[in-house]
Amino acid sequence: MFPDGLIHRSPQERVRYAEILVFIAAADGELVREEIAMIEAMMGRAMIHPESRITVRGGFEQPIPLEQSLADLDPVFAQLVLRDAALVAAVDGDYDRKELTALRKIAKAADVTPKQLSLLLDWVTKGWHWFEEASVFLAK
Amino acid sequence: MLPDTVHKLPREERFAYARLLAFMARIDNELTVDEMAMFEQRLGTALLSPSQRESIRDALKNPPSLEECLEDLSGEAGRLALRDAVMMAAADGTVDEDEREALEDISEHLGLQENAVEQLLNWTVKGYRWMKEGYELLDSFEE
Repeated sequence: MFPDGLIHRSPQERVRYAEILVFIAAADGELVREEIAMIEAMMGRAMIHPESRITVRGGFEQPIPLEQSLADLDPVFAQLVLRDAALVAAVDGDYDRKELTALRKIAKAADVTPKQLSLLLDWVTKGWHWFEEASVFLAK
Repeated sequence: MLPDTVHKLPREERFAYARLLAFMARIDNELTVDEMAMFEQRLGTALLSPSQRESIRDALKNPPSLEECLEDLSGEAGRLALRDAVMMAAADGTVDEDEREALEDISEHLGLQENAVEQLLNWTVKGYRWMKEGYELLDSFEE
């Protein structure tokens, strides 16, 4: 992932972004190392303040309910959240039923239709393939 | 970031990886917001301990030499560091001469193919295209 407009969002929005990602990562049970690394990377990319990161990490044990984080979320911002939530959900190789349910809820808040969500998940798969290419030629 | 293996490296290797990225971040004595965001992202992926993070922040203020960074870097950690150094160098849209030279030195130290940096740069461009497609997809949702 490359830097994007996320860093220009307000600190409060970026914390909400991270809280939603934590919820997604925890949706299928306890957070695994891959998921924690992904959340830490996303928080770094969003340049969330170190103290706010500590608060977000508190959600690893007990994530903030998704409905609470989605309340009054700007739909355009919710689309960015949805994109990165899809990346986080895919990090362990597949989409769990609970992860998909959560992604659908975020999609609804972002005014994204099920068909559009499906296109976004295809885009995530494409990104996986791109990322793997580097490992292949670096291994030669 | 997409599924990665940096977090699976031994702790000391993750530190060496992050140290090299700190060197790359400061190579042209400029640190753009995009480069910083990329650096912070990769630092997050490395899951460093608080004391290691502290050392890396110091390295960002007083960057080590490339030779010092390479001393502790080899194998998989080195290859991942080169890959991410290329992404960081390209984060502001251009890879200048100093950055390119350092990338080639790292590649040579790791004993990679002669065109490894070129391949990684092309791979990075593809990644930017993929990200752009993501934006375009989101934009199309609003139409």
